[in-house]
Amino acid sequence: MLEIRSLTKRYGPVTALDGATLTALRGRLMGFLGPNGAGKTTTMRCIFGLATPDAGEVHWDGAPIDAEMRLRFGYMPEQRGLYPRMRVADQLVYFGRHHGLAAADAKRRSAALLERFGLGDRARSKLEDLSHGNQQRVQLAAALVHDPVLLVLDEPFSGLDPLGVATMSEVLRERAAAGVAVVFSSHQLDLVEEVCEDVAIISGGRIVASGGIDELKASSGRRHLDVEIAGAGRRWPDGDGGLTVLARDGDRVRLLVDQQADLAGLLASAQAAGEVRRFEFGPPHLSELFMDAVGNGRDDGRGGGR
Amino acid sequence: MSRATVIWLVARREIVERGRSRGYLISLLFTLVLLGVAFVLPSLIGSGTSLRLALVGTPPPGLETTIASIATAQDVKLEISRTPDSATARVQLKDKEIDAALAVPADLSGPGTLSFEQAANSRLQLICSSAVVYLRAGSTATPPQTEIVAPQSDADVAAMVFANAGIVLMFIGIFTYGSWVLTGVVEEKQSRVVEVVLSTVRPRDLLVGKVLGIGALAIGQLAVLVGAGLIASQATGQVVLPPTTVGAVAQLVLWFVLGFLFYATAMGALGSLASRPEEASNAAMPVTMSATVAYMAAIIFVVEDPGGLLARVMTFIPLSAPMVVPLRVALGTAEPWEVVGAILIMLVAIWLLFEAGARVYSGAVLASGGRIRIRDAWRARR
Repeated sequence: MLEIRSLTKRYGPVTALDGATLTALRGRLMGFLGPNGAGKTTTMRCIFGLATPDAGEVHWDGAPIDAEMRLRFGYMPEQRGLYPRMRVADQLVYFGRHHGLAAADAKRRSAALLERFGLGDRARSKLEDLSHGNQQRVQLAAALVHDPVLLVLDEPFSGLDPLGVATMSEVLRERAAAGVAVVFSSHQLDLVEEVCEDVAIISGGRIVASGGIDELKASSGRRHLDVEIAGAGRRWPDGDGGLTVLARDGDRVRLLVDQQADLAGLLASAQAAGEVRRFEFGPPHLSELFMDAVGNGRDDGRGGGR
Repeated sequence: MSRATVIWLVARREIVERGRSRGYLISLLFTLVLLGVAFVLPSLIGSGTSLRLALVGTPPPGLETTIASIATAQDVKLEISRTPDSATARVQLKDKEIDAALAVPADLSGPGTLSFEQAANSRLQLICSSAVVYLRAGSTATPPQTEIVAPQSDADVAAMVFANAGIVLMFIGIFTYGSWVLTGVVEEKQSRVVEVVLSTVRPRDLLVGKVLGIGALAIGQLAVLVGAGLIASQATGQVVLPPTTVGAVAQLVLWFVLGFLFYATAMGALGSLASRPEEASNAAMPVTMSATVAYMAAIIFVVEDPGGLLARVMTFIPLSAPMVVPLRVALGTAEPWEVVGAILIMLVAIWLLFEAGARVYSGAVLASGGRIRIRDAWRARR
């Protein structure tokens, strides 16, 4: 279990982290979300000792993380963190060795991973001779070669084609199923919603929401109501009910309502406006939770989530 | 995992990856060729330094031996032959079979003629005219002998050549491989691979491993070059090795190692301040400039007066010691205590520089954005 407790980190006048706290569990995939500059990368760097927090602690299984423990973690930074002119298999062996694998183990695991990613025949190629997608695969392999108990990836999906996205999701799910705590940052909220069980949303250096996606949705006070009334156009709702229109597309309208909204009354009102083809009440999408949490969302009259 | 293992992993990567790179092999071959040219060329040219003089017709008795003895005294290599007449001599001159032809009446009744094809050789002129003058005066006495009070022996010349070759190798070697450390650091930083490496490796261990690995390649190249140089000099018979050779080679290698550790550490640390390879040479400017100044001072002033005050002072300054001490040792002017003292000072300086360099490196290598100021890197807590 990864526990990040009240991390604070300042770079000169810039506060990168301002008391960030989150927990990532073994066997679960956590999406780490936040606008650019919110502190995602700094948090990750603190986990790997690449940045020393001014205050706060990072624990693994209840103990403060030290260099010995980090050997069992895997990190994939956003930019390609590999040697462009080094041969693919050699890099994997090199990083495996740095994580404490014996030479023979490192070789065996590297070969197996390359085979797994369909790169068995490129083992002796230089990294820079591979396509972008294949370079990403090698990078993922480098983070996996020592079979880490914690896997942290910064923007692993950025720049991947649909095939690459599928492979990446599959591998991450598989690792989580094997009991690894997996944390990755992403701006692709739909993807996170599909792949992850947990999320942590960071904004301005603080974690503004975290936990299981389903629980977060359920505990959100807001609900969405999707209604389609044939031929109603903009006539419904009439605007008196204190309802917030989130989106409108022809006869369809998406409303923001409270959890305790008077659904029967709303349905009656809609039926009065025309033939109701759809009337769906449900939790917000992750992207809406995100907008709400970071306070940059639509002006819904509630102000920011901070 | 022990730190030694980590450092070894880093160093081994540098040795393997760079050792099989085309750049290393090319630079090795290139320097070997340069060295070969430096030794073989003079020996080829040198074979033509013997002058060929033909005596025309019947020369006065004793002329040949007088000329030969004067030439020997003058340290001029001379081959003397006979030719029947002036016409034949001209043909021989034209065909460059001889360098000069001397025709003197057998009874010394005339001044005689010394013929050259294109340009006159003044030493030969002098030798021939002196010989004729001596013979005419009826003197069989040998001409005045030249005496040099403090002769410069072949060994001294060789020591000078050797010292200069050593210091050039030192300077080129340190900077070729020092710049590998420099660009290696910047490339790792730019490609962000350093983040992955540093997630398990301490920054200073990465810096040490890099310097040691590249240093091993540099020593490898130096060993090949010095070995090839010694073999070439013996094979061509060009240079008589001075008695100081063994000590000088040992000192050269020792100071190469010390100088490399010193300069490469500094370049690695300064390289971490740059964000792109293009900025790296700017960042390393303070080191390259001071080293160049030290090198110039060594080849200009120390060679001139290797036992002088400036040479002695520079012996104890870490920036210049790697170039000055081996030079003075090769020229046989360094006192043992000076060498020992210089080594101790150098070791302390390397240790201090390494501590400071590792701190700057740690502070700067993970920072993103443009060029980092050294003061900020020094203060930075990661």
